[in-house]
Amino acid sequence: MRKVAMVGAGMTKFVRRALETPKELSYEAAKTTLDSCGLSLDDVDCVAHGTAPDAFDGIHQNGEYMACGSGGWNKPTMRVFVGGATGVHAIAHGWYHVASGLFDTCLVVCEEKMSSAMPHAQGFFLTIFDSITERPLQPNLLWIFALEMNRYMERYGYTKEDMALAAVNNKRNGLKHPASQFTDEVTVDDVVNSEMMAYPVSRLDVSPVSDGAAAVLLAAEPVARRLTDKPVWIEGVGWTLDTAYWATRDLSYPRYLDKAARMAYDMAGIREPHKQIDIAEPYDPFDYKALHHLEGLQLSPRGKTVELLRDGHFAMDGNMPMCPSGGLLGVGNPIAAAGTMKACELFWQLRGEAGERQVPGNPRLGVAQAWGDLMQVSSVVVAGI
Amino acid sequence: MAILERITRNIDNRYWDPGTKAFPVKNRYTAGVAGQWFFEELKENGKIYGSRCEDCAVTYVPARIYCERCFKRLEKEKDWLDVGTEGEIHSFTAVHRTKTGEEKEEPSLVAAVKIADGLLIHRLAGVKPEQVEIGMKVKAEFKPKDERQGGIEDIKHFKPL
Ligand SMILES: [Zn+2]
Repeated sequence: MRKVAMVGAGMTKFVRRALETPKELSYEAAKTTLDSCGLSLDDVDCVAHGTAPDAFDGIHQNGEYMACGSGGWNKPTMRVFVGGATGVHAIAHGWYHVASGLFDTCLVVCEEKMSSAMPHAQGFFLTIFDSITERPLQPNLLWIFALEMNRYMERYGYTKEDMALAAVNNKRNGLKHPASQFTDEVTVDDVVNSEMMAYPVSRLDVSPVSDGAAAVLLAAEPVARRLTDKPVWIEGVGWTLDTAYWATRDLSYPRYLDKAARMAYDMAGIREPHKQIDIAEPYDPFDYKALHHLEGLQLSPRGKTVELLRDGHFAMDGNMPMCPSGGLLGVGNPIAAAGTMKACELFWQLRGEAGERQVPGNPRLGVAQAWGDLMQVSSVVVAGI
Repeated sequence: MAILERITRNIDNRYWDPGTKAFPVKNRYTAGVAGQWFFEELKENGKIYGSRCEDCAVTYVPARIYCERCFKRLEKEKDWLDVGTEGEIHSFTAVHRTKTGEEKEEPSLVAAVKIADGLLIHRLAGVKPEQVEIGMKVKAEFKPKDERQGGIEDIKHFKPL
């Protein structure tokens, strides 16, 4: 396998409702990424792009539709399609294209436009569930995650206030991200007192549905070294699929992520992730998920995460800043694009280019993660400088 | 495995289920940055706009904000142009069935109309199915301005010149 680096990154603003079509959003992210490393479309050997359920953009076979906006015209182009995990999965997918020796460069572009869905994107989730045993009960993701959140809290004696701390942390970080749609901090009280959606999930426990796109350019080692003094190496990738009979999983621990993280760490030669990783971008569509995923990523002992969070371990100036980007809670959650945004964040943070939200102390190793499909897929990327 | 129903003779196969007339999900789309401009010109001025990438020598119709071949940004002020309202039939079909499968009284004509390097898909009028030919020159006929809503149906149809 060849060494692969991220050499460019870019994204659109994440907004409630964009005028741009999915193609145009993809173009803006892809073009910004190419401009960031001074390349033209001719320098791109292949495209790995992603968008989650077709229903959000409202275009069946959305991959083909958005290919030209992703730079895929007349190039080998392949779509990744694993729901919320798509954004990081696409990085692993693009990495494979280059590491294998087949291509020298790969443009990875992920996009989501959730505002097309009427009256609300949640309506489209019904059809991902088992049509016989679950759909008659009219499930939506809020109450599916409520079941998981409740089980997680019960297992370790956590409270809603404990979970809200993660929302407060990430939303505060997000205020400094130029692509974020938010202007105000929230407090634990704001989160806990926001409207109940499905107990124990309140409105501010959840990341906002958004439109947006994000992209990175991957290059093989010799090309990467020629293009930049600061390539950000993909040290490891991992992905796993747990059972789709999700009620048979231990809802308090993300086993799907445990495996994916270990795969990525093994590839990266990391033995003690909780000591070696400098910054973490766990997938945080809900506040409890950020904490749940830190445990699955082996970055925090099970049941000790809230204690560490309260002690400032995951703060911007702590030992392991959590979601310096602001994450999905702080920037927004255009599904597939949100995971790629996390990889972009590693790129900017590790190069020391994150501006106002730069993590102090020259971070050298970071991990980004996403999660999705029938809530049982996770993908992980470890990046280092 | 139990099969509850099967069709064994090819001749019995059917393509429509007239009972299925609704699909219980909805999407609301935006026209996009390019679409917003394109349809404004269509509605307000009765003009069809394309956008040209000089580097690739391609004129896209409908106009777009980027060239898919080289990723150049196509600016409205610099790279967009009025491509006129005439084109050529690139291909056509006569549609004999409604979308729910019933036979139409008269077949309706649909054409792919080539304008510059792009294609507009639209209805054909003023010509019988047996008279249509590929390569025929056609012209867009617009709805009266006060009926135009900023959509592709602001063009009523294309008609042979
Ligand atoms: Zn061009």
